[in-house]
This record gives sequence, C-alpha cells and structure tokens, in this order.
Amino acid sequence: MSDTTVIELSNVSLSYDARPILSNVNLKVRNGEFVYLIGPTGIGKSSILKLLYRDVVPDTGAVRVTEFPVNKISMKQVPMLRRRMGIVFQDFQLLDDRNVYDNVAFALQVTGEKPKFIKQRVLEVLGLVGLSHRRKNMPSDLSGGEQQRVVIARALANEPRILLADEPTGNLDPKATQDIMEILKQINNRGTAVLMVTHDYAIVKRYPFRTVRLIDGQIQDLAWKGDKLVPIKSPV
Amino acid sequence: MSFNYILREGFTGIRRAKLAATTSIFSLFVAILLLGILSRVSYNIYMQAMSIKDLIEIEVFLFDVDDQTTRGIAQTLENEESVLEVSYISKDSASAIMLRDFGPGAEELVELNFLPASFKLKVDTEAGSSQIESLVSRVQNLRGVDEVQYNASLLKIMESNLNMFSMAGGGIGLLILLTAVVLVYNTIRLTIYAKRELIRAMKLVGATNSFIRSPFIVEGILQGIIAGALAVVCVFFVFEFVIPVYVPEIGLLSWPFGRWYFLIGAMFGLSILMGWWGSRLAARKFIAETYISG
Repeated sequence: MSDTTVIELSNVSLSYDARPILSNVNLKVRNGEFVYLIGPTGIGKSSILKLLYRDVVPDTGAVRVTEFPVNKISMKQVPMLRRRMGIVFQDFQLLDDRNVYDNVAFALQVTGEKPKFIKQRVLEVLGLVGLSHRRKNMPSDLSGGEQQRVVIARALANEPRILLADEPTGNLDPKATQDIMEILKQINNRGTAVLMVTHDYAIVKRYPFRTVRLIDGQIQDLAWKGDKLVPIKSPV
Repeated sequence: MSFNYILREGFTGIRRAKLAATTSIFSLFVAILLLGILSRVSYNIYMQAMSIKDLIEIEVFLFDVDDQTTRGIAQTLENEESVLEVSYISKDSASAIMLRDFGPGAEELVELNFLPASFKLKVDTEAGSSQIESLVSRVQNLRGVDEVQYNASLLKIMESNLNMFSMAGGGIGLLILLTAVVLVYNTIRLTIYAKRELIRAMKLVGATNSFIRSPFIVEGILQGIIAGALAVVCVFFVFEFVIPVYVPEIGLLSWPFGRWYFLIGAMFGLSILMGWWGSRLAARKFIAETYISG
C-alpha cells in the first residue's frame, strides 16, 4: 500500500431537497487500502459513493478520485472517471438477456477494446472470481453469490484502481458472503483500493480493515477495542 | 468506439424488447401510411382541379379593325405572361363554326355576317382569378377590343374550393405528422425505458452518452426502415389492387408527379428520418435523466 491518495473528500457537504445528508465530511483512502464505511441505514453512506462516481455533486467542498477533481469535471469526462473505478451494488445489475461472458465482455466493449483483448481479459477476470466454467450460463441460472461474483468480474474488467462496493453481501447467505469477501480481499491484495459500504458488523469483525463510520453527517475513524468499535481521536 | 458492437446491439435491440419495438414500428407505420394515402389522394384531386381549370378559356371579341391592329392585339396578347396560347378566329371562321354547330337552317343567319373576329386565349392553370381578372381588364382596354368573356364564376368557385381543400389537406397532413411525431417519440421512449437497466449498466462501466445512444439510434433507423417498408407495401396494395377492384368508379389514381418512386421515396425517407430523430431525441433525454443509483 502506497501513500498516494486515490479518494479524497475535503469539507464535503451534501443535501437533498434542503435536507442535509453530509456536513463538512473529510475522508482519504490511499492506494491499495481496504476501507469499510459503516453506519446506520439511511445515514448517507451510499451518498458518499454517489459523490465518488459523480451521480451527485456536493453543495460545497471538493471530491477527488485519482487525478479527477470529480465535482469540477465536465459531463464528458464522467465516463473516463468511471472507467477508473469498479462499482458493485447490492442488487446485481446484471443484464439478464445475455450470458455471463457477455455481461463481463460488455464492460470492455463499451470502452472500445479490441475483441481479442476482450476475450482474454474476460476469461482472466472470470477465472479470478472462479466462474470460468459458468461463462455460458445466463444470470438466471446462477445463485445470488455467483451473480455477485459476475458483477465483481465485470467491475474488474477495466482494471480499476478503486473498487466501490455498496452492501455487496447484503442479499447473500453466509457462505456466499464469505466467498465474496475472500474475492474482495484477493482483489485488494493485488493493489486495488476497496471502499466497501456495509452495516454488517460481523463482516467488519471477521475481515478486519480500516473502518470509518458516518454519523451525524460526519466521518469518524474507528478501531476495535475488545468487542466494540470505538472512535479514534483524529479522524482523516 | 466499437461499431460492430453498436450495430449488433441496434439490431438485437428489437428482438430483446419485442413489445416496445413493435409498438414503435406500428405507430410509425400508421403515420407514414396515412401520410402516403393523403399525399396520393391530394395529388389526384389537385390534378383533377387543374384539368378542369385548363378548360377555362378567355374569348376576346374585336371590333371591325384592320389587319395591322389585329396583329398588334395578337402581339400584345402573346406577350402576356399568363397567356400560354393565342388562337385567332376570323369573322369567316366564326361563321363556319356557327354553321357547323347549329347545322342546316343556320345559313340565313350566317349570311348576315354579324359574328366578330376574336382571339381565344389559353391561360396558365397556375394563374389565380385575380391574375386573370387583371389580364382581362388590360385586354379590355386595348384599342380594337370590343368585349372579353370568360367563366369568372367557375374560376372563382374552383379556386375557393381548391384553397379550402389545400388548407384542409395541409391541416390534416400537419396534424397526422404532429401526432405521429409525438406518438413515435413516446413509443421510442417506452422502448428505451424498457432498457433502462442496460443504460444504467452502460453508465456504470463508463460508456459515454453518445456510445449509449448509438445502438438506440441504429434501432430507431431500423424501425423506420421496417415501418416505411410496410407502409409502402400497403400503399401499393391499396391503390394498385384494392381501390381499382372494389371501388372501380375511382379507378387507378396516378402516382404523384407521374412516377412511383417520388412518393415511395418520400414515405421511406420520412419514416427513416422520424425513426432516427425520435430515437435520438428520446435517447438523449432519457440517458441524461438516468442515474446509476436508480
């Protein structure tokens, strides 16, 4: 893990219809870091991810992802920003009219990659998530855990520097959750920064990484003290 | 940008959202068919009106004038812009015509030699009644001209009916076109809405808006081609087979401007244009309004 910051939120405030969600939030994620973003449901965790992939823009403050000043870039640059990150949601968002291979290949086709490279890369990422043998299956033939692995493979297809995961295990059983977490760990070990939104404390405890909590519109860094997560004094 | 991907997606798009695509094609087809029928019928009515107008002649009766004056009048008439043809009927020719028209027994009348020499003018069918009235008043003032006669009332009735028909036809055509545009735009929006998950997924992996839009435009053009082809076949079938057989009193209506490819080309072109335009507009708006997070 290097000291290079790949995600930086500086004094970011966000509100929806005059309802404040985030208030002067500061957060840094370094290259190759794995960070959990926890907090109660509806507190605005997903809004932080939306700011990063520029689905929303902050009212005030600055958002930077790799070299992109996210809140300042033009709409034309947004796709380039998104190619630098892989995004995984709780609902799998697979295209149910095409098979596993095509669902992953699709991410490379839309960015204009050559067919030969696409074939090679798709098989590589499917191998990484352990689904090479299922490449001809349709999403409906797969279990929830397998579908989420396809989504992760698709997110990795463009070799992103950052993986954003919004409750990726939210719809999965314990075994599938474990599989997904192992894959995310493996991805992180290969140098990709992972920012994972979750409210599953069991995962946070079982796979310990840096943990930040969103509370009252602000970010707090936490550390385990016995069985409890407690705030660290100087949040970043 | 992967053109193969765009083309493939555009073509398979219709298969993937069959209902929405069928609705789009059907609304385009109906609009183009109605416009095609309206154009062909309107053209034939217009041509019919023009051929009736062609029958309208202006007769210029002369006093007993010398040849030089007659030639001068002929020259002036020939120089008139809206006059297509000038034919001179001498006093003798007029008597001969009378004898021919009235038959035996008219000899005594003819011998009186009371019929004046005249000119018959054929005017341009495009000339309006006001243009003809002004021509008549100019001719009336020529030295040597006794009287000018033409069927002013028929011309006025024809003209007012034609104007009314043109306005009604144009209005109906415009209404069909507007309805079609709104219908096509909304049905194409439905087609695109049916693929919102695809749009979200494309945005998620960093596709540009123009790339996302491209397969929808290909699909829109393809829908236009299918709808246009269907409408063309229908117009062909209705005018060449159905009307001549089932409504023989109407007969075979001619193709606008005498050639089939003008109307067919216009229908086909308009259908493709509407498919392209509708899909482009709908895709543009919908893609801009679609967020990854739903």
